[in-house]
Amino acid sequence: MRKVPLFWPALSLLVCLPLKLPGAEIFPFDYRIEQLENGLKIISIPLDNPHIISYYTIIRSGSRNEVDPGKSGFAHFFEHIIFKGTKAVPRDAYDAYLTRLGAGTNGYTTDDYTCYYTVFAGRENLEEVVRTEADRFIHLYYDEEMLKTEAPVIEGEYYASLSNPGRRIYELLRDTAFEKHPYKHSTLGYLRDIKDMPNQFAYSRLFKSRFYAPDNTILMVVGDFDHADLMDLVRRHYGGWERSGYTLSTPVEPPQVLAKRAHYEWPTDTLPRLAIGFHGPAYSDTMTDKAALDLLAEIFFSRRAPLYQKLVIEEQKCASFYAAFADHRDPFLLIFTAVVKDNDDMGYVEEQIFDEIERTKNELVLESVLALVKSNIKYAFAEALGTTDGVAGSLALFVSLAEDPGTINRLFDLYERVTPEIMQETAKKYFQRTNSTVATLARGEFR
Amino acid sequence: MKKAATSILSGIGAMSLALLILSCVRTNQERLTLELLPVGNSPLIGFRILLEFGSSHDPPGQEGIGALMLSLLAGGGTRDMSYRQIMEAFYPMAAAVRIQMDKEMAAFTGTIHIDNLEAFYAIFKDMLLNPGFRAEDYARLKADQLNFLQKNLVGNMDEQLGKEILNLMMYEGQPYGHNENGTVESVRGITLEDVKDYYRRRFLQGNLTLGLVGGYPADFPRRMEEDFSVLPEGHTPTVTLPAQRRPQGLEFVIAEKQTPATAISMGFPVSLTRADDDFFALWIAVSHFGEHRQSLSHLFQKIREERGQNYGDYAYIEHFIQGRGKFPDTNYGRQHQYFSIWIRPLANTNRHFVLRLALRELRRLVEEGIPEDRFRLTQQYLLNSTRLYAQTLQERLGWKMDSRYYGNDDFLAEAQKRLARVSHLQVNAAIRKYLDFENVYIAVITQDAHAFKDALVANTPSPITYANPDMPSAILDEDLIIQSFPLDVTPDKVRIAAAAHFFQRTGVPDE
Repeated sequence: MRKVPLFWPALSLLVCLPLKLPGAEIFPFDYRIEQLENGLKIISIPLDNPHIISYYTIIRSGSRNEVDPGKSGFAHFFEHIIFKGTKAVPRDAYDAYLTRLGAGTNGYTTDDYTCYYTVFAGRENLEEVVRTEADRFIHLYYDEEMLKTEAPVIEGEYYASLSNPGRRIYELLRDTAFEKHPYKHSTLGYLRDIKDMPNQFAYSRLFKSRFYAPDNTILMVVGDFDHADLMDLVRRHYGGWERSGYTLSTPVEPPQVLAKRAHYEWPTDTLPRLAIGFHGPAYSDTMTDKAALDLLAEIFFSRRAPLYQKLVIEEQKCASFYAAFADHRDPFLLIFTAVVKDNDDMGYVEEQIFDEIERTKNELVLESVLALVKSNIKYAFAEALGTTDGVAGSLALFVSLAEDPGTINRLFDLYERVTPEIMQETAKKYFQRTNSTVATLARGEFR
Repeated sequence: MKKAATSILSGIGAMSLALLILSCVRTNQERLTLELLPVGNSPLIGFRILLEFGSSHDPPGQEGIGALMLSLLAGGGTRDMSYRQIMEAFYPMAAAVRIQMDKEMAAFTGTIHIDNLEAFYAIFKDMLLNPGFRAEDYARLKADQLNFLQKNLVGNMDEQLGKEILNLMMYEGQPYGHNENGTVESVRGITLEDVKDYYRRRFLQGNLTLGLVGGYPADFPRRMEEDFSVLPEGHTPTVTLPAQRRPQGLEFVIAEKQTPATAISMGFPVSLTRADDDFFALWIAVSHFGEHRQSLSHLFQKIREERGQNYGDYAYIEHFIQGRGKFPDTNYGRQHQYFSIWIRPLANTNRHFVLRLALRELRRLVEEGIPEDRFRLTQQYLLNSTRLYAQTLQERLGWKMDSRYYGNDDFLAEAQKRLARVSHLQVNAAIRKYLDFENVYIAVITQDAHAFKDALVANTPSPITYANPDMPSAILDEDLIIQSFPLDVTPDKVRIAAAAHFFQRTGVPDE
């Protein structure tokens, strides 16, 4: 890595990282992986980038871990409760520490993990951050009253999202497509389960003991620090954290054998929406199935794709249209979403998408087109790595999936190995009509 | 306030010289301005074209024309390439052009890897200088803009709707008084010829600041300046704004729709901006009262943390658009700013209580000021958190441009010095000078609007209900005071209209 340039504006901490050009390894930074005896994994990425440190605690707990009936939403619930503090550092003191630090801090919950991050300036603050963060995960304290006050906040968060039709159709699609796997519900959980949370103090303790443990946690630190100093601090403050030893048994989703369909009646005037999901494979940096479907989605359904051009730009039937296949630890859905301008065109748009999906099975993609897509994903990723927190933020997902930043380079190598023939075979394997679920959302009844 | 030119440098020639100059501007308001921020070995280059006109320059009857023009430039073809061809060319570079539009400013931005600089710039430049103005692009983008006003804003985004209605109330009949996207009626009436004509009237050299940041070649700014010099000289005068209109008592607009949750935004114009000395003192006060999405926020503590009523509650002393990492986004500069409180959606049953709570806290802030320890804590928070504001290339350039707009040399550097010098006394003096609890515009999205109006006018007690039967007694005691906290609401100050009727035409719709 080269030294950072000398052209500082007034605030010298502001700096852009020197990146290697796409074509070299897509993730160009040196990193180390260490593990404590209690199972805690530490991923350390020191950067020649003054001042800023991103401190990420990744708990491998998301909707995937919510296997007990009536208990959806608990992974996300902990994202709230973890900010309640400990006996040594109660909420007020924790807030005061963050406020003094002026740190950017937050948490978010996904289907597979919950991520807590603190982005702050100054390596002199690292010791306090390690000490305080270790304390709040190891010694988290909350009582039943605190739970009862916090649970309605989550209900409020649900309400805040209620007027968003994109969110509603996404929930409907998952709920319809999955039968057994907890990916059936979104991270917020079902409203009925959220409303019952105030009564679930005992369950919340059980959830915590299972998943808020060192053997289910990855610590990732990126930025301006010394690796040996970090490890000394981590051993000192996290060494006494007791492992859980719990083994999660996630129900396996049975193969879908019949096409499914569901509709959401929107109460007011809105643009109608369509979402089509196909069950696909889990994330992998060794098997080509997921990588091939990622590339297919880009080629046939991204903004440069002929179908996008037809539906959005030429015929103007759709306001927007895209495909997304989010990386997950267990098999998830490849989802096609369209916001349609007129209720009467919903059937037509659906037909067009299914026709295009058929085409992926019958036509070989041109090598030249495949090269464009590979170029796009490389440059898009390179831009994301432009700052310290950009590096940490981009890595969090991959680290949660594979516990190793090296997975990114293996994934991009895999993309390079995907050929038009592999893509066609993969399309045939997954794009079966019986493996599809269609969700629609429109004002009033539909069809 | 605008174009407080600092140094003159025209015709940058020598490469070495160009690298040493961090910024250069012309003093001539009729010609282009350059804003440069080289970052030696960054492989990325950010373009940021700041347009010094905004929706307040839309001609009466053509509200929304500026936004439509910008989306046609960024989302339509050029003279030589169709929009489809542009998307195909941008795709392998992972390039995108983004636009933003506010009352007095707009921006075109794009970030590109140096590998693709030439190919990207050739198209980017043409999008701005040689737009295609094709009928099919126009039809598509106009339909998008109408759908936003008719469907999305009133139907799918209640929190945003609350903020937009507050805007309508504060600036009714003024240049700021319409949504950036105009109204259904005005946008319907705009023709492609109108847009072309508007482009010719606004794309004058003096309206553009060409911003470049990152690892661009030393001679690039000169090339860019030459290319953009084909635009006619001239500039659009800064819009002349009438005096800000303070609310007379508590003025309500209730947008009625079927919804299980109530969204509230309230506020009033304030007579200061970042250009004023008092800004830093009031910034500390309002950061204490409602820092955006931070537990520091006093309102957040009272409504969310103590009572679990919603996801968050914040306050601002200027128009706030969230950027990366919850920090303020750049290039929304305005001559007139406003104070606001944002109450995120909460159960309808507790709407009256939470409104009372927020206004009571505002009253306490004005009457009692902020305690010494909170002053110190907030001061330290802002000193540290502002150091995280500008991290990406685009953010750094955006802050630099805003600094120029408000006449600061480097606003974030200045904040480090000036926040540290503010005293507790100054903060409490600024609160008394600028904030008010008796005269507030209040926008509410809720159902059963008439019942709510009746309860407001009658000052009906509004006890709160909790899921937790064992709430701490201190909170329950305070609740007894809040539930009867009197609000001076008269029936003539509560306007009600169906949510779907907003943005059909300018102003607040009649019931």
